[in-house]
Amino acid sequence: MEGSRFSSGEVVSGAVLAGLGTFIIIEARGWVYVDADGPGPGFFPTWYGIAMVVLSLLLIAGSLRKARAAVQPVKWHEISRALFTWAAFAGSVALLKVLGFMLSFGLLTLFVVAVMYRRPLWTALAVAVGCSLGFYAVFALALDVGLPVGIFGF
Amino acid sequence: MKKYISFVLLAAAAALAAAPAAAQFKPTKPIEIIVHTGPGGGADVLARFISSLVDKEKLAPVRMQVTNKPGGGGLTAMNFVVEKKGDAHAIAIFTGNWMTNPLTQAEAKVTVKDMTPVVRLVLEPAVIAVKSDAPFKTMKDFVDAAIKNPGQMKQSGGSITSRDNVVRQLIMKNTGANWVFISFPGGGERIAALLGGHVNMMVIEPQEAGEHIRAGNMRVLAQVAEKRLAGFPNVPTLKEAGFDVPNVPQVRGVLAPPGMPADAVAYYEDLFAKITQTASWKKYLEDNQFEDGFLKSAELAKFMDEFTERMRGILKEAGAKVVR
Amino acid sequence: MDILSGLLQGFAVALAPLNLWWCFVGVFLGTVVGVLPGLGPAATIAMLLPLTFQMNPTTALIMLCGIYYGAKYGGSTTAILLNVPGESASVVTCLDGYQMARKGRGGAALGIAAIASFIAGTFGVVALMLVAPPLAKFALSFSSPEYFALMCLGLAMVVLLAGQSMVKALLAMLVGLWIASMGTDLFTARSRFTFGYSEMLDGIDFVVVAIGIFALGEVLGNMETREGEKMLPVPKGLRNLLPTLAELKACRFAFLNGSVIGFLIGVLPGAGSTIASFISYGIEKAVSKHPEKFGTGVPEGVAAPEGANNSETGGALVPLLTLGIPGSGTTAILLAALILWGLKPGPLMIHDNPDLFWGLVASMYVGNVMLLVLNLPLIPLFAQILKLPVYVLYPVIFGISIVGVYSVSGSLFDTWMLAVFGLLGYLMTKLDYPSAPLILGFVLGDSMERALRQSLMMSQGELSILVSRPISAIMLSLAALILLLPLFRKANAWRVKAIVENG
Repeated sequence: MEGSRFSSGEVVSGAVLAGLGTFIIIEARGWVYVDADGPGPGFFPTWYGIAMVVLSLLLIAGSLRKARAAVQPVKWHEISRALFTWAAFAGSVALLKVLGFMLSFGLLTLFVVAVMYRRPLWTALAVAVGCSLGFYAVFALALDVGLPVGIFGF
Repeated sequence: MKKYISFVLLAAAAALAAAPAAAQFKPTKPIEIIVHTGPGGGADVLARFISSLVDKEKLAPVRMQVTNKPGGGGLTAMNFVVEKKGDAHAIAIFTGNWMTNPLTQAEAKVTVKDMTPVVRLVLEPAVIAVKSDAPFKTMKDFVDAAIKNPGQMKQSGGSITSRDNVVRQLIMKNTGANWVFISFPGGGERIAALLGGHVNMMVIEPQEAGEHIRAGNMRVLAQVAEKRLAGFPNVPTLKEAGFDVPNVPQVRGVLAPPGMPADAVAYYEDLFAKITQTASWKKYLEDNQFEDGFLKSAELAKFMDEFTERMRGILKEAGAKVVR
Repeated sequence: MDILSGLLQGFAVALAPLNLWWCFVGVFLGTVVGVLPGLGPAATIAMLLPLTFQMNPTTALIMLCGIYYGAKYGGSTTAILLNVPGESASVVTCLDGYQMARKGRGGAALGIAAIASFIAGTFGVVALMLVAPPLAKFALSFSSPEYFALMCLGLAMVVLLAGQSMVKALLAMLVGLWIASMGTDLFTARSRFTFGYSEMLDGIDFVVVAIGIFALGEVLGNMETREGEKMLPVPKGLRNLLPTLAELKACRFAFLNGSVIGFLIGVLPGAGSTIASFISYGIEKAVSKHPEKFGTGVPEGVAAPEGANNSETGGALVPLLTLGIPGSGTTAILLAALILWGLKPGPLMIHDNPDLFWGLVASMYVGNVMLLVLNLPLIPLFAQILKLPVYVLYPVIFGISIVGVYSVSGSLFDTWMLAVFGLLGYLMTKLDYPSAPLILGFVLGDSMERALRQSLMMSQGELSILVSRPISAIMLSLAALILLLPLFRKANAWRVKAIVENG
């Protein structure tokens, strides 16, 4: 983020939250605010929505005023590593329905060990199989907790 | 010709039901009972009780295991049942909510009409209770007070779609009275609000009320039941007390996934008929002061239609947004 | 009945070999399900319920209650070692417990949690025995305005949980309030913020939010670099596994605070252990000589919420046993169990079944001792998990998170939401938004809105109902004080600065 003179994180997140607050207020306007019985479903959201907009604008204003403060350079490499891992996690969650817990969790483990931590493939395979079987033993066998089952029946 | 065949089939089905030994379907793997609450909820406790009863009395060749599908105000379980289309080894415990909730939920993609009715099991009556030091001696006293001071009397209860509110709406419409309905999520909080004197009245399960009456904390004004309950021989039903309102019991029973074969339905009808004949079941009903509400599949279907229709009207009057 | 003779009679019941054995089974199972996130005591009790039909009701109640309070001992383990809150009340334990573990004091934190649990758990039983009936009356005088004031007091704790920026803490809390209002509105059956998903009609489960934001957020943050073989320093030697005398001394007040607050809030049917642990943490921080150190791993930050969480059990049994009124969750299932055993829970139950009540009370003394003896030796064992290399530990945390969430509802939708909240947790850490206020808002939001609406329905729209009742007025003023105090301090600081600059 070259040349940014303010904490862009605060401005962006403030803007997102201001948007969220506006969305909440708009939604809440569709519901009863107050009627003969007392406050309706729109009462509470209206108020926290307004508070959210006000505070996020305060945050943005404060951040802009703090201009030229020493800003740590954003380490995009690190962030992308974390987001990449998240994507793998989300991917394995998506696969739960098809592959079941054992396989998709094994794949996630394999990915983390082999790709994110650059361990040899056989280590990764051993860890993945070990983890999957370990979870199966502890949860499905010992505790009788149902794990997501895929099309292969496990 | 077609009519004739269906008549024969119907007669055959009736014969099968009458002579259960001839039913063809036999479960070959554990039967799944789906409930819409987490472990410990009303439907869950009933399902586990049935499962252990079947085990103990050896009423079925296989085990019954409970599957909890909580969430979505019952819709998660209903979706799950509909997804099991054609599965003869799955049944579900339904309550009145299964018919009521989809009426106000635009998110609902399925209704009980999509499922196969099996049996109705219990009707849970209720009683109308006030704190023992309240000035009201009869239901009429309370209603008169509510007419005199509109909006001053308060009732604690569950959600707007619950039976508590339905009873209120019916009486209010019948008498022109008007009192406030305050929702509390837990049964404990509702009772605490009454005993603490923060509300004036509540609709409560007879078993729960019984103990508070014995301790002198509560008084019962009327009962929401077809005929007087064994535990309350001196308390009039709403009809007897002069309120011409339909009886609104909390209902529980069994549904099955869509497209369950007729012989499997007959098998379950018969299985539950046997369950309701056992001594343990009768004791269960007695302990909880439930009424036996056993109905077979065809009658259950009719009941569900009527129930849904009545609820639609009541919810509209209560000001809820009915979406279907 | 005379308390002493009742207790003696109770011990005679509780120390019968059969009851002793089932008490052990209960607390052992409780510890196990407490350690594993997701699978809570409520579910475990419900699943074991059919097993108890053949038992004598006293024995069965001793075992099921053992699961209930045993689970609370175990709940802190994953919170401290992995930043995975196993149940809602352990969220507060994460704040300082996990930080202690990062400093290599994980074993000590577990030890303090166990000791706090023991002290407060025992306190809860003593209080249950001595003051149950009068306290139950007090609980009944609590109505919606008081609950609203209590929730306000809880939300005011956000001031104490805020890190660098108060604005960010408040924003996080507001997002928590928003998440809390997702689902079906109880009063009107109107669904809010469900985006058309029927899975969201009951709102979002606490476990999903807490595990996503705390555990996944933390792991994703740690995975930014490949450096570091271990997630946390492993405590070496037995001495480092146990709390030091100085640490225990620092916790003296926290033990008492947690015990009392937990019990009092536990008695109220509409509150719960999460708010108890938040409030006792807040009090601990407010009276501390070094409040700025909270959140960096101070032992009293572990002792107070863990204590509150455990003495809440004794409190929650008060309305259940004396009035037949369950608070929520686990006690509601215990009530169902009492009915299934043919007992009549209600105001006369203790009178009708003195053996049951005193046997249970005595068994809880015994059970708490068992738990302490059981849990202290487990600490070195659990600490071993930190020896795993990160590339094994992180996938294990992912797995535990997925299974924990799935075991609550059996719904794949919830695992999706878990991923969403994991991302949110990571982004919040990256952007310096504190996560505890979000959880606080999420836990209290629903009850707060409800209590406010109930109050205004009771008073027909008169706002004065909130301040005209003494208990709620006191709590509301306390909340206002907590909220405004930092502003005064700030104003004062400016004034001093201005004087200095001008002078």
